[in-house]
Parts: sequence; structure tokens; C-alpha cells
Amino acid sequence: MKLPEINLEELEKDKIKNFQERLKFIDKYVEWLKKTPNKEWSSQQKKIIDL
Amino acid sequence: MKDMELKFEDNSIEFEKELNELDKFVINFTKILNELDIKYVIISGYVAILFGRSRNSEDIDIFIEKLDKDKFTELWEQLSEKFECIIPKNIEEAYSDYLLKDTALRFATKDKFIPYMEVKFPKNSLDEYSLKERKEVILNNHQIFISPLELQIAYKIYLGSGKDIEDARFLYKLFKENLNLNLLNLFIQKLNIESKFKEYIE
Repeated sequence: MKLPEINLEELEKDKIKNFQERLKFIDKYVEWLKKTPNKEWSSQQKKIIDL
Repeated sequence: MKDMELKFEDNSIEFEKELNELDKFVINFTKILNELDIKYVIISGYVAILFGRSRNSEDIDIFIEKLDKDKFTELWEQLSEKFECIIPKNIEEAYSDYLLKDTALRFATKDKFIPYMEVKFPKNSLDEYSLKERKEVILNNHQIFISPLELQIAYKIYLGSGKDIEDARFLYKLFKENLNLNLLNLFIQKLNIESKFKEYIE
């Protein structure tokens, strides 16, 4: 099978962009956490952890 | 903005949440340490998860104070009622070849493999500091002890993986108003992570 062309420079840029987006998400998530009752956020967290 | 429902005292944080399986595992394990009056501190990823970080973990890292063989035997026997040491299986090996040689023991609930508690003696000055300056958390009336948040944030940045940086940013953003920023800055300087802090956390 012929492998696709891989542009490492482009992949690196995507990786950095993705990480920056994840950091922005954390800021939004913390904002939400601070204004959300513990019962609500922990119930949502439990669904992820107890999968 | 309304603050998260956390009650801060001088050296303690108290709050209630719906407990997940990881929280229950930690409570069950540390309950035995508390009963045996063994000093411990939870470090690493679970500290962020405890306060709401939206990710899972297969392991929880914990330092326990250096124990002599008799006290360790008492701990091993108490833990053996609910937990199993996956690595290693034998108490002699666990104490002499693992703990005394700075290698972690891994305890899971009986008949399970994950999550597991990675148990170590402190081996360097930062480990000793986290144990000495540990913070009390009262979670749904259960007492657990965690690493000082300032050290936790700085050390996560030092470790530097994507997950570690995200944990550090989460804790910093969540607790910024409650942190000792002078202490945090000292750790940042000592660990030589000023540029990473500016780039990823602030």
C-alpha cells in the first residue's frame, strides 16, 4: 500500500494549535465550574470517570 | 462570578460532591492510612480530578512517611482486607526491594487491576516538602491530604507533558485567588520554568 505524503511541519503546527485550543477550553471549563453547583459538575464528571 | 462551592480555612479545603469511582477508591485507601495514623500526601493528577478536572486516571500517586518494617507490616495486613498489591505480591519484597529502593508499590481493589494506588516513600526534598506541608481536604466528611497547590502547579509545569500542563492550568485558574503567589513564584524560579509558566499558564 502506498503511504500518503506526510508534511511534518504541517502536523507540528496542527499539534500546537490543538494544544492551544485545549488550554482555552480549560479556561472556559473552569469558568463554568465556578458558577455551577458542585452537585451538577460532579455528576457530569462522574459520568466520564465511571464509564 | 460566583465562587465554586468550596470552604477554605487556613490549611484546609472542605466541599461536597457526587463521588465517582476514583474518589471512592481514594477515600477507602486513605481511610486505612488515617486509622493507622500514617502520614501521607496525594500528589499528581488526582489532585486536579478531585476538584473537577474532566479527565480520568488509572493511577493515584501517594507518598507515605518512611515506616519501619513492623509498621509497614501492620499497614500491609490492614490493606490486604480490601486491596491487593499487584506489584509486588510479597511483603518482604515490597518493603526491602521496592519501598526502601525508591520503587513504587501498586495497590488495587481486590479482583481489579485499575485504578491503582502508587505508593512510595519520599525520596527527595520536594517529596519531603509535599508531605510536611500537605493540605487537608474534607470531601463529603472524609479527610484526605493533598500536596500544596503551589508545588503541585509548579511541578506539573516542570514535568511538561500536555496532560501535566493542562492540569497545572486547571488548578491555577481555579484557585488563583486562594494561592500563595509568592510561594508559587519561588517554586517556578527554583524549577527554572519561568518561560513555560508565562507561555502556558498565565
